Amino acid sequence: METSIGVGLGEIAVSQNRDQILVAFGLGSCVGIGAYDPKKGIAGLLHAVLPEPLNSTDSESTKYVKNGIYKLMDQMIEMGAAQERLIIRMAGGANMLTSPGLSKTFDIGTRNIAVAERVLQEKKLKVISQSVGGNTGRTFRVYVSDGKMTIRMIGEKETVF
Amino acid sequence: MTELKSLFTEEFVDLLVKISGEGIVNAAKGFAGMIGKELEVKNSSVKLVKLLDISKMLGGPEDETVAIYLKSEGTIAGQMMLVLPFDKAMGIVDQIMGEPIGTTQSLGQMEKSALQELGNITGTYFLNYVADNTGSFVRPTPPAVMVDMCGAILDIVIATAGIENEEVLMFDAEFKQGDLSTDIQFWVIPDPKTIIAYGAK
Repeated sequence: METSIGVGLGEIAVSQNRDQILVAFGLGSCVGIGAYDPKKGIAGLLHAVLPEPLNSTDSESTKYVKNGIYKLMDQMIEMGAAQERLIIRMAGGANMLTSPGLSKTFDIGTRNIAVAERVLQEKKLKVISQSVGGNTGRTFRVYVSDGKMTIRMIGEKETVF
Repeated sequence: MTELKSLFTEEFVDLLVKISGEGIVNAAKGFAGMIGKELEVKNSSVKLVKLLDISKMLGGPEDETVAIYLKSEGTIAGQMMLVLPFDKAMGIVDQIMGEPIGTTQSLGQMEKSALQELGNITGTYFLNYVADNTGSFVRPTPPAVMVDMCGAILDIVIATAGIENEEVLMFDAEFKQGDLSTDIQFWVIPDPKTIIAYGAK
């Protein structure tokens, strides 16, 4: 029987248990990075909140996109995954506020995506598909059984991406 | 969780407690006037909240939620938000429009406009109290109405406050209204920089 493992704000989950589904619920401006090694059947999911730290006191926190991606890779490799085999998919980074005068102040989503793309490129990790931007929240699921990754938006069905 | 008394002077903590009580009651008066019904204010408080815990303060992160969001600008900046379940929001629109509960079935432009006005009035009533009691100059921005997953909406508060802070000061309360079964959350999160300027030890 499949079990959902919630991946909260600033958290990472890595699993090789085929009965598990890793889930980041309700991503708004946050970004989710899903990774899967098909040979070893190892899946991982990061739920990052902010692009980069402004000070050094918590620069190691996985709530930041860059540190989160690094730690996701570390944890997957530690479990036995190979970086060059990883299938990466990315979702989130919405701009939730569309009201005139407010939206530009809050464009954290776009910044999260930009940092994620830069860091993944630096790590030579190719993003196979993505569902990013817009003004809508998403729930991001990674199925450990086969590496399938899905998103669901409010009022819509879960779709593979 | 950090205690307010460890960060702020005793006099300032007293002011924060007063605002969390009387200021929120004033905000509720604005809300009640808009819907033409009495409101009960429950569980009003002021506290320091760990940023990543904000997402756990409401129901499920996938729940369809409506938020009316505005900022305050001026000498005390901050964020204000009314958060309510989708069904409740439609009931509130019915009350603003003077229609029987159950009339509104979706939130179109007109319905969102009504909710914006509700946010505007509630926020203004709160800020008027703050301005009168602190001698500060504050004004609300135009409100935004969002309909989405609860978690996605809360990302706005978390991302905005979380750039520089691990904990934020929060005033919160529930507005309970007899005709409708669920509660409405009213949150105010002052910008830490302006708060510290006022009352840091």
